[in-house]
Amino acid sequence: MGDAALSSALIRQDVLPLAVGYALLMAALAAGLVLSLRRPAVPGQRPSPAASAASAVPADSAAGPAARGWLRLVRHVAGTAVGGYLLLMAVVVGYYFGVARVSGNFIEGAFTGCALLIGLSSPVFAAATWLVVRRRPSGNDR
Amino acid sequence: MAQHPVLGYLVWAVLFGALFAWEGLALSHLSGVPTLSATFRAIMRYPFGRWALFALWLWFGWHIFVRGWHFLLRA
Repeated sequence: MGDAALSSALIRQDVLPLAVGYALLMAALAAGLVLSLRRPAVPGQRPSPAASAASAVPADSAAGPAARGWLRLVRHVAGTAVGGYLLLMAVVVGYYFGVARVSGNFIEGAFTGCALLIGLSSPVFAAATWLVVRRRPSGNDR
Repeated sequence: MAQHPVLGYLVWAVLFGALFAWEGLALSHLSGVPTLSATFRAIMRYPFGRWALFALWLWFGWHIFVRGWHFLLRA
């Protein structure tokens, strides 16, 4: 492979993804900065996801507050994981067909590898959350 | 080990240095800039922000822990 081809492959497969990823991260940080300056957060004002989730469940639910909090937390986490997974897969597919046809099982690896990561991290996150809640003093459900 | 140009390391060093400098400035409360955690909290108020951050986390973990690895007994 010549130097020109190597440089082209390097730019398309390494430099461009890093630059796009960096631009996306910086754009997200800039958006967060603008939002934060527009509406400054007050420490201690926002409830935890589990607590805010519990408050969004209809009051006529038969389950107790703790069960409602867990249900809301599971929905919140599942929605974030599925949404993030689908977003990343859309970016990966768009990158593969629009920018560079990466050799090997790139698409298949992205789908299975990211699903594997979610499958491994979700039980750990659930167990860690359960331990944190369990260690809290009773009467403090948040 | 591949030889990389020094300029690449310098760019990464400057980027991470700027990130830490920003966080230090925010934590010192000398200016009105928000901390990174406050910024991420603002992003995560919205579903698309949470999806984007989770996608970034997945992308990073996929590259670091999954992609290019050959597991045991795999042909």
